[in-house]
Amino acid sequence: MRDGQSWPSPGDRGAGQPPAHDPRPAGPAGDLGALLAQVARGDQPAFETVYDSVAGQVFGLARSVLRDPAQAEEVAQEVLLEVWRTASRFDASRGSAMAWVMMLAHRRAVDRVRSRQASAEREVRASSPDIDYDVVAETVEGRLDAERVRKCLGALTELQRESITLAYYGGYTYREVAGLLDVAVGTVKTRMRDGLIRLRDCLGVDW
Amino acid sequence: MKIRRTDPHTLLGAYALDALTGADRARFARHLAVCESCRREARGLQEATGRLAAAAVTQPPDRLREQVLATAARTRQLAPLTRETSAWPGRRWGVAIACGLLAVALAVGGIAINTQHQLSVEQAHARDIAAVLNAPDATMMTAQAADGGTATVVMSKLDRALVFTASSLPALPSSRRYQLWLMGPRGAHPEGMLPMPHQGMTAPVVVKGLTAGDKVGLTVEPAGGASHPTAPPVLLLSLTSASS
Repeated sequence: MRDGQSWPSPGDRGAGQPPAHDPRPAGPAGDLGALLAQVARGDQPAFETVYDSVAGQVFGLARSVLRDPAQAEEVAQEVLLEVWRTASRFDASRGSAMAWVMMLAHRRAVDRVRSRQASAEREVRASSPDIDYDVVAETVEGRLDAERVRKCLGALTELQRESITLAYYGGYTYREVAGLLDVAVGTVKTRMRDGLIRLRDCLGVDW
Repeated sequence: MKIRRTDPHTLLGAYALDALTGADRARFARHLAVCESCRREARGLQEATGRLAAAAVTQPPDRLREQVLATAARTRQLAPLTRETSAWPGRRWGVAIACGLLAVALAVGGIAINTQHQLSVEQAHARDIAAVLNAPDATMMTAQAADGGTATVVMSKLDRALVFTASSLPALPSSRRYQLWLMGPRGAHPEGMLPMPHQGMTAPVVVKGLTAGDKVGLTVEPAGGASHPTAPPVLLLSLTSASS
């Protein structure tokens, strides 16, 4: 792996160890913005609560996009430290705290997968992403959130759903999605947008 | 800024899903800066995508928690951005100098760009720049261009990003522009056109997604840009030679 050789990545590279089971209660998501304000002032206990609230989603998303637990762990560590380092830059007027954290996580995961892909002569990742729908969140609240997402994804048209899941969980660009689904690029763009609008309304997102 | 044929609104979904790359992403960000209704829609769609991760929750290994908390405890945090104190704290004197150079370049670029009603793009851009300059491993390099002029690069390997600015490059005819590239084992990847210089100084360009072995190169290309370098670089700077 070219990535790992001369570019520092913080953290232990111990690969292949199964995730430990140590369920910790997720913090109340509504308080995440307030917690981030405390984190911005260097409050380490607040950061521990933030970690416990978001680490499962950050790691799970990175694992889904990268499909490699060791790299997912590296990316998750980078993202969580970025949350610590840049908490002062979170601006509640521009979106929710969870959306901010997950945006950092998704960007970092796709940047990693695309640079990895570029360095491997843009090998075609032909298979669909393994979205492990059987992964069960540790808390009731988490299970309900996951269930709601699945239900809302299920309410989309097939093309909307595939376009969104390939891009989000698989980290593909819209051009790659068009290739994988064998449909026009313009169609994918449109389906992503109208699919997300339906998803937003189905999830009852505040915005 | 060129007017594109396609309606950029159609890219809103792809943008919210991070399914845009390079030129598409940059073009869309420029559009967002001048389109209030698009920003509002993008925010709603990003809230929706943020919720999708709930279906992928996976408990990370315990050691991740220990590592993150221990590293955080010894990692300095960014100060809040305020209008009055926009100077970036330099980690070392070299970077402090680069901050000065870049602050001048930014101010120059800001003026130039303001006239095109693109100031808010520049502000988002400034955050990217500040992130690189504030990275714990920020390293500054300078290089002389073949035909005169100096490039200054501040790079963070941790962030896989760099900030590029140049001064006193030879002026070009209006049909030609300087184009920035990442040149590495994967070939040359276009990283955008250098902004037009103002008082000899170009506004900073942020380049993301660096990989090992990359060099940053500058070529003279047709004003619209090229997909591959059509001339030997006037400047080529190896990024791996820098000690950090």
